[in-house]
Amino acid sequence: MIYVENLKKEFKKTIKDPGLRGSIKSFIKPKNEIITAVNDISFHVPKGEILGFIGPNGAGKSTVIKMLTGILTPSSGRCEINGQIPYKNRKNYVKEIGVVFGQRTQLWWDLALRETYSVLKEIYEVDDESFKKRMAFLNEVLELEDFITSPVRTLSLGQRMRADIAASLLHSPKVLFLDEPTIGLDVVVKDNIRKAIKQINSEENTTVILTTHDLQDVENLCDRIVMIDKGVKVFDGDISDLKRRFGQTRELRFVPENIDIMEKLDYKKEFKLSDDDLEIENNGVSVSVRFNSSKISVERMLNYTLSKTHVKDINVTDADIEEIIKGIYRSEVKLDA
Amino acid sequence: MKYLRKIHRMFKLHRIFIKQDLKKLMEYKIDFLTGAIGMLLTQAINIFFISVIFARIPSLDGYSFEQIIFVYGFSLLPKAIDHLFFDNLWAIGYFIIRKGDFDKYLTRPVSTLFAVTVEKFQVDAFGELVVGILLLGYSIPRITVSISVLNVILFFVSIFFATFIYTGVKLITSSISFWTKQSGHIIYMFYMINDFAKYPTTIYNRAVKAVITYIVPFAFTAFFPASYFITGGNAWYNIGGTVVMSAVLMAVGIFVWNKGVSAYESAGS
Repeated sequence: MIYVENLKKEFKKTIKDPGLRGSIKSFIKPKNEIITAVNDISFHVPKGEILGFIGPNGAGKSTVIKMLTGILTPSSGRCEINGQIPYKNRKNYVKEIGVVFGQRTQLWWDLALRETYSVLKEIYEVDDESFKKRMAFLNEVLELEDFITSPVRTLSLGQRMRADIAASLLHSPKVLFLDEPTIGLDVVVKDNIRKAIKQINSEENTTVILTTHDLQDVENLCDRIVMIDKGVKVFDGDISDLKRRFGQTRELRFVPENIDIMEKLDYKKEFKLSDDDLEIENNGVSVSVRFNSSKISVERMLNYTLSKTHVKDINVTDADIEEIIKGIYRSEVKLDA
Repeated sequence: MKYLRKIHRMFKLHRIFIKQDLKKLMEYKIDFLTGAIGMLLTQAINIFFISVIFARIPSLDGYSFEQIIFVYGFSLLPKAIDHLFFDNLWAIGYFIIRKGDFDKYLTRPVSTLFAVTVEKFQVDAFGELVVGILLLGYSIPRITVSISVLNVILFFVSIFFATFIYTGVKLITSSISFWTKQSGHIIYMFYMINDFAKYPTTIYNRAVKAVITYIVPFAFTAFFPASYFITGGNAWYNIGGTVVMSAVLMAVGIFVWNKGVSAYESAGS
């Protein structure tokens, strides 16, 4: 469905010294620098998959999306979607995709929303019959009824995002690109939008590629994630993969009968662990011990704890995805693992 | 058949946006009125100056007051039509590229140039159109213009092609912004040369004449075609030149535009 091979995008950037003098100097004798925004990225997305594209700010996510949607021409490498190359024969290609940029609307500022859809109907050559059906469907999924007669400029962010997503789906695209579709939205709207994306994906087998900073989006929606950092792909796999590979951190939480007993517990000395692999928090009632399970097994941890103290409650949990990703962004986790 | 459907679609889209801009006009009445009054004042002052000059001298380089008014009125029509339909090119030069807003046009299955221009219908241009028609209505009965079927056809042909001289100049200069991010002032610089086109080119020195004839050929938007109607002579150069210049500018414009689109770098988000 989607093939991306060794995709690369370089931008030329003019370096300027600060101030007006710098600007004048750079005007007379410009100094250029090549910046590689996306470096040698390859991945493949099968039909009907929801792929989460994540990475810190400035990692190159949007640049990849813009190349896949035909907005930017790659410097080298290739991408092929539905057997078409985005930046060649663009007009034909974009008929089969839907695009939403959460940061900026694609709708016409002064048009009433209803009119916006009439414009898109003409642009995408949707016939009257399908248009009616499609609008009814989108209305049901995204609840546009309340504001369909309002001009786009008067919509709230949540309404606008729903309107934008509906606009991207009007022509029943095979692939949907969502660049930060939940940015700046409240919890309820986020949830509605996720449900809508899921519903469209399952009912129409639409392939979805989304970028996000909200890891709830990732956990709720994505079958797979591709993570990039500084223009390079650093992870490609499903979420359990990610947890298995990078989530060695486990958290042991327990409520001891007598909190003073903590003095007798010395995990560091017992297991000879460094600060990197062990972290203890004691709030006076309960204790949480975060440890690297590749260095010390959960069993030994539990045995040692229970041999030293009586507990009222105890549990061991996985590190959550947020912790893992934070670790990767901060490059604490070795990525060649 | 396919092309007919395409044209039909284009008109439908135009209709939707024209309706929108007329609606906006109703909403922002003061804005429109201020614009219209300002425009009328500008035109009134220009005509006043011409009449002041003619109060002193009987003719300007062999042209009577009425003939000058004819050239002037003629010059307003293609300018107004371009203004009406292709005004959004200014926005390309000033901010659409710089802000990365050009992205959205690239995700639509229509030509980017059409998508950009269709979404704005510049109602302000009606002022120029009305003034132009009034000036022609005033001057035509007072000068010797032979009104024949051929001349009426040639009149509309020259207005049509002259319009695309304006559009072509704007297209080329606004496309520069694909590389420089902003070219609004460049559009302005070249666009303002059209001020020379309102008067007979024969009154200017050789350098100005060469510029407005061959480089930024605004002379073909007014003086040359209008002088055909005044003198009846040299149709091939006066009208044919308009057609050729217009075609050349649009061809170059579309070429540069398309080159620009593939060089487009968007903006960070």
